[in-house]
Amino acid sequence: MKSAITVIKEQIKHFYLIRRLSTYEIKSKNKNNYLGILWEILNPLIQILIYWFVFSAIRERAPIRMDGIEIPFFSWLLAAFFLWIFFYQATIQGSKSIYSKLRMLSKMNFPMSVIPSYTIFSLFYVHLFMLLISIIIFQFSGFYVNIHYLQLIYFIFAALCLIFSLSLITSTLSTIIRDVHMLLNSTLRMLLYLSGVLWPITILSDQFPKIMQLLKLNPLLYLIEGYRAAFFGTGWYFIEHWHYTLYFWGVVIVLFLFGSMLHVKFRRHFIDYL
Amino acid sequence: MKMEKAIVAKNITKKYKLYHGTKERLLDLVTPKSYGEDFYALADVSFEAEKGDVVGFIGINGSGKSTLSNIVAGIVPETSGTIEINGQASLIAVASGLKGDLTGRDNIELKCLMLGFSKDEIKKLEPQIIEFSELDNFIDQPVKSYSSGMKSRLGFAISVNVDPDILIIDEALSVGDKAFAEKSLDKMKEFKKMGKTMIFVSHSIGQMKQFCEKILWLEYGMVKDFGTVEEVMPKYERFLKEYKKMSKEEREAYKHDALQEQQKVLMA
Repeated sequence: MKSAITVIKEQIKHFYLIRRLSTYEIKSKNKNNYLGILWEILNPLIQILIYWFVFSAIRERAPIRMDGIEIPFFSWLLAAFFLWIFFYQATIQGSKSIYSKLRMLSKMNFPMSVIPSYTIFSLFYVHLFMLLISIIIFQFSGFYVNIHYLQLIYFIFAALCLIFSLSLITSTLSTIIRDVHMLLNSTLRMLLYLSGVLWPITILSDQFPKIMQLLKLNPLLYLIEGYRAAFFGTGWYFIEHWHYTLYFWGVVIVLFLFGSMLHVKFRRHFIDYL
Repeated sequence: MKMEKAIVAKNITKKYKLYHGTKERLLDLVTPKSYGEDFYALADVSFEAEKGDVVGFIGINGSGKSTLSNIVAGIVPETSGTIEINGQASLIAVASGLKGDLTGRDNIELKCLMLGFSKDEIKKLEPQIIEFSELDNFIDQPVKSYSSGMKSRLGFAISVNVDPDILIIDEALSVGDKAFAEKSLDKMKEFKKMGKTMIFVSHSIGQMKQFCEKILWLEYGMVKDFGTVEEVMPKYERFLKEYKKMSKEEREAYKHDALQEQQKVLMA
C-alpha cells in the first residue's frame, strides 16, 4: 500500500517531466527516418489493411451484429484495432523501458517509476492521433459522433491505468530476468487472436460458452468492447455491464498494488542487474 | 566555526556475484541457496569528508575507486553500511548518459530535466552550458556524430554548470585537448574557492598533488590509508615503485594476502 502511494505521488509530482521526456522519446525514435514521425501512423494503417483483407476474406465479408445493429467488418475492426496497437506497443516498450534506459538515467537520483509512464505516454500521443483518424473515417461510413463518445474518455483513462499497472510489473521482472520480456512478446502476439480484436468472441457463445467466459477474463476485452460501444453508439457499456466494470478495476488495482510493491522493492538494485 | 560534514561513509561493503554461466545465475535467483562466487569490490570502507574538502581516491586498477565514487554519487547501491550525503552529488564520467540520436541541445535539456530542473532554470542554464562546451555549430547535430572529445566536453559542461554541491570526477579530465583540460581545471579551482566538496578519481599523481587536500588510498576494496596529501602520497609513490618491480608471481602473492586480509575484515 505504501509503495503504491509512493508511485502515485511520483507520477503526479513529475508530470511535467513525463510529458517532456515522452516528446524526446518520440523525437529520438524517429530521427533517422526521412518520413520521421509519419511512420508511427503509417505502420498501424498498413497493419489494419492486412488484417482487414485476410479476415474479411475468411468471414466472406459478413457484417457483424452488435446489439441489433449491423456493422461492416472494416468499421468493426477499426473501432478497436488502434486500441490493440496502443496496448501492444505500450506493454512491449513499457516492459523493456527500465533496463534499456537505466544506463542513461541512473547517473542521478531519478524517480524510477516515471520511466515506464513516459514510455507509455510517448505512445499515447500516437494513439490519440489514431483515434482522431478513426473518428474521421467513421463520419464517412455512417457512424456519426454521438453522445456515447463521452465514454471514450473513461475508457482511454482505463486503458492507461491497465497498461501502466502491467508495465510496473513487467518492467521490473524483465530487468531482473530478460526472458520475461521475450515471454511477454510471444504472449502478446497470441493475445491478438484471443482478445476479440479480429473476430467477435460472441460466435463462441453457442458452442463453447465456457471458452467465451474464459476469454472475457482478459481485461483488455472490456476496453475493446467499451471502445466499440462508444463508436457505434450502442449504449453506456461501463454502466450496462457494471459487474464487468467492477471486475476490470479489481484486476487493475491488484496489478497496480503488486506492481508498485515489486517496483519499489527492487528499484534501488536495478543497476546491479544490468 | 564548526565544520559541516559533506560525506559520511560508514562500513561500506559492496558485493558482486560472479557466476559461471547462466545456469548458476538462474539458480541463484530462484532458489534460496546461494550460487556463484562472492566478489567484494568494497569491504568495510569508512571515510568522512568535510564541506569544501577535495578528496582524491587512489589505488591500483581494481581497487574499488570507481565503485566507491558510484556509491557516493548514488548510482550504485551499497550492499551494507551507510552513507550520508549532504547536498546533491554529480558524477562526471566520460560520455555519461548522452542520447546519440538527439542533438547536443536536446541532450542538455534532457539531462537537466532528469536532474530535476524546471523549465525556466533550464532556459537559463542552456546558453552557459553551450558556451562552456565550445561545441559551436555542432550543438544542433546529433550526438552520435560527435568525437569522443566532444562528447566528454558536453558531458563535462553539463555536470559542471548545473552547480552541484558535491562533484565527483572520474578520470574525466584525461580527455579533450590541453586547452579544454586547462579550462576545466580552472573551473575546478573556482569550485574549490567557492568551498565545494570534490572527489577526484585519477591515476595522474601530478593532478592529484596539485589539487587534492586529502587522499583515500584503496587497495582490493579496503582502505589502506586516509589522510592529507603530504602524508599519504609519498607512501603511495613508494608502494607503486615497489609494485612495479614485483614479478607476476609476487603480485599474485600480494593479491592473495590482500584478499585474505579482506576476508578477515569482513568476518569481523
